Amino acid sequence: MIIQAIFIVMTLCTLGGAVGVVSSRNLFHSALYLILSFFGVAGYYVLLSAGFLAVIQLMVYIGAIAILILFAIMFSRESAMNSAKESQANRQRWLGLPVAMGLFISLIAVIIPVNWPIQQTAPTTDMVRDLGVAFLTSYLIPFEVVSVLLSVALIGAVMLAREENPPVKETK
Amino acid sequence: MPIIIPTLDFAALIPILAIITTGLVVLLLDIYVEDKAVLGYVSLIGLLATAIACFGLLTQTVAPTFQNMLVSDGYSLVLDLIFVVTATLSIMIALSYLPARDMQSGEYYALLLFATSGMMLMGAATDLIVVFLGLEIMSIALYVLAAFNRRQLGSGEAGLKYFVLGAFASAFFLYGVALTYGATGSTNLQTIAMWFSANPAYAHNPIAMVGLALLLIGFAFKIAAVPFQWWTPDVYHGAPTSVTAFMSVGAKAAGFAALVRLLLVSFGAIPDWRWVISWLAVLTMTGGNIVALAQKDVKRMLAYSSIAHAGYILVGVVPGTPDGVKGILFYLMSYAFMNIGAFAVIALLEQRDQIGSSIESYMGLSSRKPLLALMMLFFMFSLTGIPPFIGFWGKWYVFWAAVKGGASWLAIVGMINSVISAFYYLSVVVQMYMRSPTEPSELEFAPLSLPVTLTIALAGAVTLLLGLWPTPLIKLTALGIFG
Repeated sequence: MIIQAIFIVMTLCTLGGAVGVVSSRNLFHSALYLILSFFGVAGYYVLLSAGFLAVIQLMVYIGAIAILILFAIMFSRESAMNSAKESQANRQRWLGLPVAMGLFISLIAVIIPVNWPIQQTAPTTDMVRDLGVAFLTSYLIPFEVVSVLLSVALIGAVMLAREENPPVKETK
Repeated sequence: MPIIIPTLDFAALIPILAIITTGLVVLLLDIYVEDKAVLGYVSLIGLLATAIACFGLLTQTVAPTFQNMLVSDGYSLVLDLIFVVTATLSIMIALSYLPARDMQSGEYYALLLFATSGMMLMGAATDLIVVFLGLEIMSIALYVLAAFNRRQLGSGEAGLKYFVLGAFASAFFLYGVALTYGATGSTNLQTIAMWFSANPAYAHNPIAMVGLALLLIGFAFKIAAVPFQWWTPDVYHGAPTSVTAFMSVGAKAAGFAALVRLLLVSFGAIPDWRWVISWLAVLTMTGGNIVALAQKDVKRMLAYSSIAHAGYILVGVVPGTPDGVKGILFYLMSYAFMNIGAFAVIALLEQRDQIGSSIESYMGLSSRKPLLALMMLFFMFSLTGIPPFIGFWGKWYVFWAAVKGGASWLAIVGMINSVISAFYYLSVVVQMYMRSPTEPSELEFAPLSLPVTLTIALAGAVTLLLGLWPTPLIKLTALGIFG
């Protein structure tokens, strides 16, 4: 009973936050709603007995990513902070609505009737250890490849963000 | 509980490691080297070493490694060679194209090499997680490369459009992975196939079907198949020409690499996807070709033509036979030479930004630059699929595989489309050979720069010679057969 109540609260956080992100006209408010949504997902992890993932979710997504987004918004131009006059909708909204609703309904129609296998016990008792073992054995390659992905993203971000240097004249 | 150390067969990783190492070396040298062209040549050396490694590995026996995450089989190695060819030709174009626009920088070559490593991962991956990581490495590098020309708005627009829509497609792909995992309990391609054969009653499990559909959407975006092609013309047109050449071939080949392995290995027992792919192929071929007819800009025309070519390659996916795989590999390799060759000609003629890629600037090219016009003629004939050029054989093998696989109607649609495509490819030839130049003073040609000239000569020679004598490429692609 209590679990169900928590689940409902967390779902309200996640979905309400997500709706807030896209419907808020102020970019700063959107970022705050995003934190709410992240928090709801962390709650799901707790309900699924994945405490470690919940902590990681809080630390990485709220502690790092969301705060970075807030900083990025505050450092950017004034217009990003109060963009109340700009509407989020464009003229394709009535085309987008049926497509999005269609996708939603078909996904729901598929997911609801499925008899998902549900375990009453947690699949692992020592999650941190199991995660570490998985990273170094069966998921070794993805674990290493992520580092390449991160360095590519880092180089790319620096490339796009850096000031345009005056072109260096080649000495001939 | 003791930790079981997995099998670590680093030999399977050699091509990917070689590319990543080269990329890192380029990044490090970037600090010390003043003349950034050196970095391009360093990249070329690394690519050459990778190609040698691929040829060396082609004779080795095949075993999945790293807990079934990767495999180094003929298929992945032939694809690696396609990616190496693509990267090599693109870097050679860039060596001429970048300095002419004050864009020369070391990061360009590093990002291009990292994108290549992502493509290779997609070709070698036997697990959806690795496929996704390869896809993201490739895509993120390409987003930045598309926006590389900071002085030009079109380039920034291309990068942003590609990024937003690409991120959207990645979300579809991930959702597909999640649903497939939910249905079958694994992200491993082989294990998914085993689940389907062990549970034939669940072959039409709606969760797995929706998962596959979402995966297909993700791939269709990357290979620019209709109706997921809207980003293609703007991105290809806005991005620097040396980048367009690279991603029009590389991203497409990587998308097909993972798509074919996924469909044939995991979903081979469930033939329903054949209908979807068939109609995707028909839409893509026809849509790309018809819109290309109306284009007045050669770069934009080639963007639509690349959509049409994705459709021809999809025809080879439909039968799901070894013949089809061979045809796809042959097509991708031939497409790398002829398409990058055509983009190299554009890169050479393009003066500032986007001026000079309109079809009028090709008027009377034959009288001013006869050899260049001849090479462009080779590429246009080859892209149309006219014998004796290599493009003819690519289409031949793909369509032949479709006929043998019981999809003759698709081959016929493909041939009709080839005829339609002749109109716009040959209109370039008509402009070059049958019109006289309007105002010669208006178009001052940049002095022929050596690397791009070499690219055009190399691509043109291969387009003709392998067209006249395709046996070596047939033998090579036959090594890539699986399934």
